[in-house]
Amino acid sequence: MRGMWIFSQKEMLELVRSYKLAWIPVVFIILGIMQPLTTYYMPEILKASGNVPPALLESYEMPGAAATMAQALGQYGTMGLLVLVLAGMNSLSGERYSGTAELVLVRPVSMISIVFAKWVAQLILLAVCLGFGAAVAAYYTGQLIGDLSWMLVIFATGIYGLWLLCIQSLTLLFSAFLRGPVAAFMALLSAAALSLLNSFLPNWLEWTPASLPAYSAQLLTEGSKSMGSALTGSLVSAGLLIILCIIGASLITGRKKLID
Amino acid sequence: MPSLMQVRNLSKSYGKHLSVNNINFDIEKGHCIALLGPNGAGKTTTLRMMAGLLLPTSGSISFEGAIPGSDYRQQLGYLPQSPSFYGWMSGEEYVVFAAKLSGLGSRDAVKMAAEVLERVGLKDAARRRIAGYSGGMKQRLGLAQALVHRPRLLLLDEPVSALDPIGRREVMEMLREIREETTIIFSTHVLHDAEEICDDIILLNQGVIAEQGTLGALRSKYRIPVIRMRVEKQEQAVQWLQSIASRTFVTEGQVSGEDAVFNVSDIKEARQVIVQEAAALGIPLLHFEAGSSTLEDLFMKVVGS
Repeated sequence: MRGMWIFSQKEMLELVRSYKLAWIPVVFIILGIMQPLTTYYMPEILKASGNVPPALLESYEMPGAAATMAQALGQYGTMGLLVLVLAGMNSLSGERYSGTAELVLVRPVSMISIVFAKWVAQLILLAVCLGFGAAVAAYYTGQLIGDLSWMLVIFATGIYGLWLLCIQSLTLLFSAFLRGPVAAFMALLSAAALSLLNSFLPNWLEWTPASLPAYSAQLLTEGSKSMGSALTGSLVSAGLLIILCIIGASLITGRKKLID
Repeated sequence: MPSLMQVRNLSKSYGKHLSVNNINFDIEKGHCIALLGPNGAGKTTTLRMMAGLLLPTSGSISFEGAIPGSDYRQQLGYLPQSPSFYGWMSGEEYVVFAAKLSGLGSRDAVKMAAEVLERVGLKDAARRRIAGYSGGMKQRLGLAQALVHRPRLLLLDEPVSALDPIGRREVMEMLREIREETTIIFSTHVLHDAEEICDDIILLNQGVIAEQGTLGALRSKYRIPVIRMRVEKQEQAVQWLQSIASRTFVTEGQVSGEDAVFNVSDIKEARQVIVQEAAALGIPLLHFEAGSSTLEDLFMKVVGS
């Protein structure tokens, strides 16, 4: 346990010193502002482009506050996810390939503490990014478009965050035995595959973590009464996936301590 | 009293290639042992197995007679061949981090880190980022992180090979001090380094122990009488030189052009015969030396074969 604590302190210091804890939240904040702003100014933007038929302009209907907020969270599922995966892809493989692992693993620390410390650092990074990003998005949506229930925003963000955390955990797992860029590619590929499968077979796979973004949007637009047992299934399966990733990553790191 | 570490029938193979082949040795408390051998002899693999970084294919390593496989990493200090650190940390932060990981409390870690950094001469650079350190400073930082928790056994992989002559001198002086306090095993491909500070030598070649023992014992064991000579470049003289190689008193001879080295059984007889013949035949001798072979010769022989 003490090893885990020492290692998390090191990971946090690394997040700060490498400025990851500064520029990644900035990206999330910008993404959060963009959605309500473009939604609000869409008629002006279309008018300015000049060649849009007036009938189309008249038929433009401003989406509701909840829908805008759901779209803003949706931005984090693409651009935000990409940034998070790229930021986390070297967490284990970097230590292995640069040789810093050799000096750490020779000391009495367990693999699970190292991997868990790295996972905690990823979680903190996600919490900071998503916290600031969603708060800014909700604020601008509230100012420009309409009122939002803060409780619903917090829960919906949390559900969306869990999906992002699943992909971060997968990145950690792949990073335990692949080179960083390959690990990032594999993590993004599995995220895409999970989402795609989920949209092809929504009734069969409603209990998978890939349904979490849909539940998050549903919670915002339709309220908490509409949520069924499928959400519980997704939450449980996401938790299981994360635990499996952490255990898998520590087992693999334990076996492949050094590059041959 | 059991020795500090016992290595029994240790082997490591990568696929079909046998990197370390069934080696056995003991490390006595307080000794300084050199793991000597050419590149690719299996030195790094052996040290990594001792450090617990590699699993042996077969065989066992036990620390102080404990059952093999028990965790003795707290007692170890380890310096790899080219240590890499987190460049964004300062030297002091790294040593404190290393000390804490090895089980020291926060306050102790800070105190010991300051002591050990002063000792390796990094006191002034302690607060600078490691990214800005030179190669020599990194090696000294590597030594500091290996020493900070007062390990009972220090494993050093080629600690001086990458350094310039001045850096090498400094690290050797430090090792000479450290060997008074703890047990050291270090690998090197330079015999001179081993002779300078070690008690015991383990000579490794192609994964096999070619020779091991105390420095003194090896020296006297390999003191073979030897004659070195050189003649002028004349056909007759060179022919005569080659004929010496087949005399009864020569156990092993090597003639290359006008130079020759003969291991002989009886140096008195050999000297008399050679000098007399040379005088009688009018051989133009340039150089004649009767002495004994050194560890260097043994090393070259083992490595060359």
